[in-house]
Amino acid sequence: MTTPPSTKTFTPARPIWCAGCGDFAVQGVLEKSLNNMGIPPHKLMLLAGIGCSGTIQNNLKCYGYHALHGRVLPATIGAKLANPDLTVVAAGGDGDGFAIGAGHLVHTFKSNPSIMYIVMNNSNYGLTKGQASPTSPIGYHDNEESGLDSILLGLSFLSTTFLARGFSGNPQQLGQLMEAAIEHTESGKGFAFLEVLSPCVTYYDTHREWRARVYNVDEDESFDPTNRAAAFQKIIELKEQGHIPIGRIFRGEHPSLESIVVNKEEPLAAQQGISDFADHRKHYDQFIKAHLG
Amino acid sequence: MTSQNSQPILEDVSVIVAGQGGDGSLTVITMLADLFRNVGLNVYTERDVLSRIRGGHAAATMRAFTGDRHCIGSHIDLLVALDEEAVEKNAHQLNAESIVVFDDSSGPLPSGLLPEGIKLYAAPFNRIAMRTMRRELYKNSIAFGIVGRLLGLEDEAMHQTFIKRFERRGQIILDYNIEALELGLHLADEMGIKHGEGKYRIEQTEPEERILILGNESIAFGFMAAGGRFYTGYPITPSTEVLETLQKWLPRCGGVVRQTEDELAGINMAIGAALTGVRTMTATSGPGFSLMQEGVGHAGSGEVPLVVVDCQRSGPSTGMPTKPEQSDLNIMVFGGHGDYPRIVLTPGHPEDCFYLAFEATNLADKYQCPVFIAMDQALSQNIASVKPFNLDELEVKPGKRLTAEEVADLDTYKRYAFSEDGISAFAPPGTPGGMSLVTGNEHDEFGLVSTNPTNRVKMMDKRFHKIEEAKKELPKGRHFGDPDAPIGFIGIGMMYGVILDAMVQLEKQGFNTQYHQPRTIWPVLDDILEFINQCERVYVIDLNAQGQLAHILMHQGADASKIISICRYDGLPYRPGYLVNQIVEREEELNNDDKKEANAQ
Repeated sequence: MTTPPSTKTFTPARPIWCAGCGDFAVQGVLEKSLNNMGIPPHKLMLLAGIGCSGTIQNNLKCYGYHALHGRVLPATIGAKLANPDLTVVAAGGDGDGFAIGAGHLVHTFKSNPSIMYIVMNNSNYGLTKGQASPTSPIGYHDNEESGLDSILLGLSFLSTTFLARGFSGNPQQLGQLMEAAIEHTESGKGFAFLEVLSPCVTYYDTHREWRARVYNVDEDESFDPTNRAAAFQKIIELKEQGHIPIGRIFRGEHPSLESIVVNKEEPLAAQQGISDFADHRKHYDQFIKAHLG
Repeated sequence: MTSQNSQPILEDVSVIVAGQGGDGSLTVITMLADLFRNVGLNVYTERDVLSRIRGGHAAATMRAFTGDRHCIGSHIDLLVALDEEAVEKNAHQLNAESIVVFDDSSGPLPSGLLPEGIKLYAAPFNRIAMRTMRRELYKNSIAFGIVGRLLGLEDEAMHQTFIKRFERRGQIILDYNIEALELGLHLADEMGIKHGEGKYRIEQTEPEERILILGNESIAFGFMAAGGRFYTGYPITPSTEVLETLQKWLPRCGGVVRQTEDELAGINMAIGAALTGVRTMTATSGPGFSLMQEGVGHAGSGEVPLVVVDCQRSGPSTGMPTKPEQSDLNIMVFGGHGDYPRIVLTPGHPEDCFYLAFEATNLADKYQCPVFIAMDQALSQNIASVKPFNLDELEVKPGKRLTAEEVADLDTYKRYAFSEDGISAFAPPGTPGGMSLVTGNEHDEFGLVSTNPTNRVKMMDKRFHKIEEAKKELPKGRHFGDPDAPIGFIGIGMMYGVILDAMVQLEKQGFNTQYHQPRTIWPVLDDILEFINQCERVYVIDLNAQGQLAHILMHQGADASKIISICRYDGLPYRPGYLVNQIVEREEELNNDDKKEANAQ
């Protein structure tokens, strides 16, 4: 089924991003990947955080939700567990995901729900005019802390199943990564984490620097994305050499969250109606019986 | 059985078991409650513990009675003291008729600790447990034999309750506890409390069906029965039983329960789930509710249906985590940044918890806003015997939803369409053609971000208009007593049973009173204001320091000249007698003031 052409709903907004922002490429690739993977708009729930990147849901035909700052992952997990039939995608920036929302990222790595999470990393707080973010390097403004590497963080969990990093300057590879990520979540394999280097032209234009520093592990035949320890070691080495590794860095197997917590014998939580509630009367009666003498 | 005729028939007995945390006081009380319920009495229990697993003074109390009572009584008939501190702490609740069972393992009870004339049964439970079973743990089960005999319970019934209680913990633990019970019964024989020769006689009646249930379990069940299918929570005293109950029961109905990493995840995961159209709830206590403030405001602005239970405890900050208070009323009614609509319901008894949780789940879905249920530690964790809930009387009322066909019939679908009642029908994700935007930003009817001033005012008014509409059907308060009585009471949560009990005692002392138990405190309904008008003066009982309930009522137009605010915040649960004394004292003062005034004239 597609959108009935007769019913008008919201007209997707025009992006609010500065000309040249990496987020344009992310949106373009996302739309194309969803289309290639055959995800219809009504099956897509796109939840976004707060920040420049957190407006992407307004620009697509989809069920869009604008979460609170840092809380996009719990909201996304809630939607996925309530209705695993949906394609549920979270999007946000590095401040949203790695600073205010870092605790949730840790627990999403741990719990492995089948959602895709796109982090548009521009290594600064663009929407509030360029303050240092968790991924800003030493020396950016007054920042004296080294930047956080989300992929290394993800590798440290034995429960992660898909870790990748793309670059907005390489939309072709980004498309491959995104389609692989969608395939991963659509087949219920778990959490697909995709960080995208997405330069901020206005406050921290890293485009040329990043293009020079990226190292594409997809083109390295010696790189084995199924070997967690080797991948970890290789990433560290590349970083020490000044590179930023991109590509499919890790894929593994671990039960997905929804495969554990959703009772497959019963209709999905979000799809239940009055008749299902009536069918469950037997459980209600049992509850009362359990509390009788 | 010679003494049978002199034994009083048990009509209203309060038992307290006290000792150190880990001594098993609560286990004894829970089993007694089960036994009394089984012989046709009603029961109400209360726990008084510290926030630790072992150590610190801990006590549990049970009242068994005929008829309707909804609180612990004013005095204790039987004190089971597992140490000396238990006597020191509870002696003031005893009267001349009371009896005391005391563990004298550490030596005899010093004289002077107990009021004159109190019958004392002392035995070294701890020492016997250590000597016979090598485990201190079983001392409460030994004491149980004596307690059961004194209260007139049948030996066989005690055995049955032990089996029910301990068999799920394995044969070894069951065997040990049965052995301990038998040691206790033997000890009772030695002390001259033979079968049927206790202090009371229980009149066996054909028991009506009663379930034993905690307020928190009732909340969980009410939500489930109303079609609630998604629950998130982070463990926090005294809300945790809601999580535990739903973990056990909700998945059977296809529901999802998630224990989250914190309350921020709890509220936001609940919101994400609710967006898909599933009926969703989360429960917490004050500290967690504070963390959730951004989320509940977001649900208010984004029009996300959500039930949030606040099992209030003594605050602020970490406060006294296991002690009851009703000091989150302000944050429930006024909390959060910005203005958003909300409903606050206040059940007064474990039975009411079920019906109001059911109602809250319906209301949230209908009005697409956060609905808060204000609990308190006592209401959350006290156990009461209640009539099995009547599920046939209840109706799950669906909210305004659109199917694909209904969307197709529309010219334009707007998630936040302006409407007469302020409610906009929505198509849950997955509905073909129903794509929409939900946001906490101010938005236009489509959900697109907007700062247009005209739109802003219309949207804000739309959201608040829903509450005006809801007023027509929000749970009204319950009235008790003589509508012509000059003295009125208003109290919520755990105060319900206490006020009812106090009214009976006050009547005996010549005070004619009436009581309005609000079940919705936000919005403030007219029935509360009318009640205040029909009284000469109204005592508003607040379990907080600032008189939060009284202020909310006055803020909404209650006649302040009639309100006498009584605030209590010492962490102790109210006893009816305490309230009676407070009222008598104040009434006498008022009387004296009147006389002075008359004399001065």
